[in-house]
Amino acid sequence: MSTDMLERSDAGEAGTGYPTVAARVREWAGKAPGQVCMREKDFGIWHEITWGQCWETILDAAHGLLALGVEPGDRVSIHSEDRPEWIVLDMATVAIRGITVGLYPTNPAPEVEYLLSDSGSVVHFAEDQEQVDKVLELPEGSLAHIRRILYVEDRGVRRYDNDRLLFWDDFLALGREHRERDPGAVERLMAEAEADDVMTLVYTSGTTGPPKGAMLTNANAEFSMRKIIETEGRLPDGAPPNPSDQILTYLPLCHVAERIFSTWTMVATGCVLNFAESIETVQTNLREVQPTLFFAVPRIWEKLHAGVIIKSRDATWMKRRLSSWGLKLAERIGDEVVANGGSHTTKSRILYALGYFFLFRPLRERVGLRYCRWAGSGAAPIAPEVLKFFMGLGVPVFELYGMTENAAVATLNFAGRMKLGTVGEPYPDIGFRIDEETGEIQTKHEGVFKGYWQKPEATAETFTEDGWLRTGDVGEWVDGTHVKIVDRIKHIIITSGGKNISPSEIENKLKTSPYIKEAVVIGDGRKYLTALIGIELDTVGDWALRKNLPYTTYRDLSEKPEVIELIQKIVDGVNEQFARVENIRKFRMIPKELDHEDGELTATQKVKRSALEDMFGELIESMY
Amino acid sequence: MRGRPHLFTSYEGEQSLLPTWTQRVMLALFLVLLVTIPLQFVPGVQFLGSDSWLLVLNRVMIYAIGALGINILTGLAGQVSLGHAFFMGIGAYTAVVLGAPASDRFWGMGLPIWIWLPAAGIVAAIVGIIVAPTAVRVRGLYLAIVTLGLVFIGEHLFRNLTFITGGAGLGRDWPELAFRFWKEEEPLIDFSSRGPWFGIEFSGAAKTYFFMLVLLILFTLWHKNLARTRIGRAFQSIRDRDIAAEVMGVADAKNKLRAFAISSFFAGVAGALLGALVGRLVPETWNLLLSVQFVAIILIGGAGTTAGTLLGSFFVVAIPRMVEDLTRMLSVQVRTDGPFAWLGDFIIADQGDFGLVSTVANGPGLSIFQTNLALYGFLIIIFLIFEPLGLFGVWIRIRNYWKGWPFSY
Repeated sequence: MSTDMLERSDAGEAGTGYPTVAARVREWAGKAPGQVCMREKDFGIWHEITWGQCWETILDAAHGLLALGVEPGDRVSIHSEDRPEWIVLDMATVAIRGITVGLYPTNPAPEVEYLLSDSGSVVHFAEDQEQVDKVLELPEGSLAHIRRILYVEDRGVRRYDNDRLLFWDDFLALGREHRERDPGAVERLMAEAEADDVMTLVYTSGTTGPPKGAMLTNANAEFSMRKIIETEGRLPDGAPPNPSDQILTYLPLCHVAERIFSTWTMVATGCVLNFAESIETVQTNLREVQPTLFFAVPRIWEKLHAGVIIKSRDATWMKRRLSSWGLKLAERIGDEVVANGGSHTTKSRILYALGYFFLFRPLRERVGLRYCRWAGSGAAPIAPEVLKFFMGLGVPVFELYGMTENAAVATLNFAGRMKLGTVGEPYPDIGFRIDEETGEIQTKHEGVFKGYWQKPEATAETFTEDGWLRTGDVGEWVDGTHVKIVDRIKHIIITSGGKNISPSEIENKLKTSPYIKEAVVIGDGRKYLTALIGIELDTVGDWALRKNLPYTTYRDLSEKPEVIELIQKIVDGVNEQFARVENIRKFRMIPKELDHEDGELTATQKVKRSALEDMFGELIESMY
Repeated sequence: MRGRPHLFTSYEGEQSLLPTWTQRVMLALFLVLLVTIPLQFVPGVQFLGSDSWLLVLNRVMIYAIGALGINILTGLAGQVSLGHAFFMGIGAYTAVVLGAPASDRFWGMGLPIWIWLPAAGIVAAIVGIIVAPTAVRVRGLYLAIVTLGLVFIGEHLFRNLTFITGGAGLGRDWPELAFRFWKEEEPLIDFSSRGPWFGIEFSGAAKTYFFMLVLLILFTLWHKNLARTRIGRAFQSIRDRDIAAEVMGVADAKNKLRAFAISSFFAGVAGALLGALVGRLVPETWNLLLSVQFVAIILIGGAGTTAGTLLGSFFVVAIPRMVEDLTRMLSVQVRTDGPFAWLGDFIIADQGDFGLVSTVANGPGLSIFQTNLALYGFLIIIFLIFEPLGLFGVWIRIRNYWKGWPFSY
């Protein structure tokens, strides 16, 4: 059934149009309709979706959007965890020349209202009752521009009496009806697609002000795919990403990083996307899927690292002995590999072979990175120790750097040429410079965005007079080829002694410890540096259990003298690695777990410094 | 997907009996080992190929078939039964009536094995279905008492129906293990007497061994498969909490009845085979002790598990033989003053001196038979207290140690 429909739909009249991401899916569906492109876990079984089925659903959804009166340039917003419908709707929107707006599942209702009204979305996809409620609980009459709210999990929503609600299956049925009436409608729009069409609004996390919607065009996406995914020399074994590669999709798809490393990698190379059930089950899903390409943010790497350390400490005597020997071996391998630009040397290979069967293979299997041939870290700075740890275990992790506004095309550590502590080299043939005066990194290439959605002043501010994009990050050259990110310009601390200090570096060193989840270094305009530190409940709880230390709540545990002593030791250790002016003289424990809902974190789990400084002002003052 | 044993793309994959290639290869190797035992060329287990050990192994396999049956009833469906010996008896006498030749004293029809062996199971199952409605009304200890009653009713009947059973203390001859199309003189395949097969000379015990092995594999597959079907899962839900199961729509009485029927089928076949293997059995064979032995098998092996049941059967049936070998070895040690003489001195009771086991008739210690009985009781107690999952539980612990490697959880 699917093939003859494909033939019919392939009969586009006016050429094929710009190769948008949707057009690339169509291409795969034509080339390999029976090949698996996505897997979604449901009741313990990973259900497979082929390119053929995927494209059919996208066509239905695209026709559905047309039936709802969505026109080119209209916004379709998606508020959902990662799931096939996310990608289907995204592709369908691009196919009819609409604009996709992604929202973080953790966005609280007020932020949802802001994002929806700022983007002026006409069709809103709210995954389940939780997300539907965030829209429906707003006062009557607000967000009147939203015509329909689609939902896919009908539990709890079925009883709702609201004209705007539309169940996903009914939406697809609507699309099929429209498709029968006007079979070529979507194809015609696809043929009209242009390079300059905005395909998506990616809202910045907004650590300082309200989020701004960065407009990315088809050309931006195309450039990003060509540079990041298809660049030569990225993967250690040289084989380009291909349909046998497995990817675990678990970071929010509204973020540009996951969009590139999941959706765009899939459409560009035919890799299989495996959707994690939720962020809590990532470790289990990792173990099941054993992805070959894996992108993670530092927080995830830190968590995996802490997990290995804690679990190997909890093991029985024999196993503990073995892993402490093996992890020491891994450290030496890590040193060796890192010194060699991320590739094995003969010595490291021999050492690796020594521990492979007893430790590295089973350990990597347990972590879920046994078949991982390329792993990336980005979106926030990571402590080099963590990267080295995974390198030592044989997982090739490379740090890379980019931002929403330049479609994440900036720098990358190439296999064999990586330098620890840097974000790598600029991609070949892109405009990349570091401003001599301010040290700010600036880029200029086809991936640079079109501007912020309906914010011309903000857009103007982001560009220099000669048209380069200001990234807002301070960088410096290392050995003339690699780039090291110092910090965000806005974060640089100038102490009352006039010293410029980058807090991120110190914070990341602190966060290397499995016991520390959050660290915020403070000291702008002060005599010395201090820090607010939040503990990792799991690991410190485990530690307390071992010490027979009873505790009740997070706060109770944080404020135990023994815990403060533990943290003090870590702080002392970190202080030794820095110059005296960069030492943390005092610290206080954050009495609660930071949360997006409470406005302390952004949707991407970045700390909102200003909010934190307001909230814990007294705590900070008590240190001075 | 290859190399990803935890990723299931279909329920069939998740339910598969042998999901990984390692498991398939290991099982294949184990089967090859089993098949080659009578050929006596695998070093280390050659002694098992001797005729005296093959007899033990044949008995192990028959007990295993019976134990798989009680495991369905007790291990899967949670219905404690002491009546297993009764159903085995029913099967055995069905076989003898259908299979053995008639004489002026005994009933007999002289039918071939392909009739009497399945019929033994079917008749036992029918009796199970008749008995079940009474049994499913009671639970736990009361059910044990009801089934205990069956054993005594059975013993009484078997002793007095002399035209079927041969009468108390006497018994009668069972049909031999041989395949005939009908009542011809020369059997097509003979499983019990010496002769060449494919050019290799096999003893009768070895031929019986192959026959039993095939049957055991079939019954094991059936059992293993049953545990993962709708019926098997219904049994397990009843075992775990019958009221909760009923609330969820699992018909309690119907499934208990099914469990009785299937379990009795296994028992009937095992009983018929036992009769045919031994040749002549007295009606007292089907007594409480036999039932207890089966309970011991699944408790020692691991209730509810297939591998545990097989392991338990080997353990329980082979122990007497091992005790015998051991006492013989120790008494030799004592006589020749070998390195283990001190142990022999302590355990073996010889004329006059103190010891636990006696090798001479009417000696001061226990006889080997009594020692075995004491050993069963002792082992049941030990396993129930220290390893409720049985030998299989020991295996699970070992497996988990390696599964968690290099962590502990």
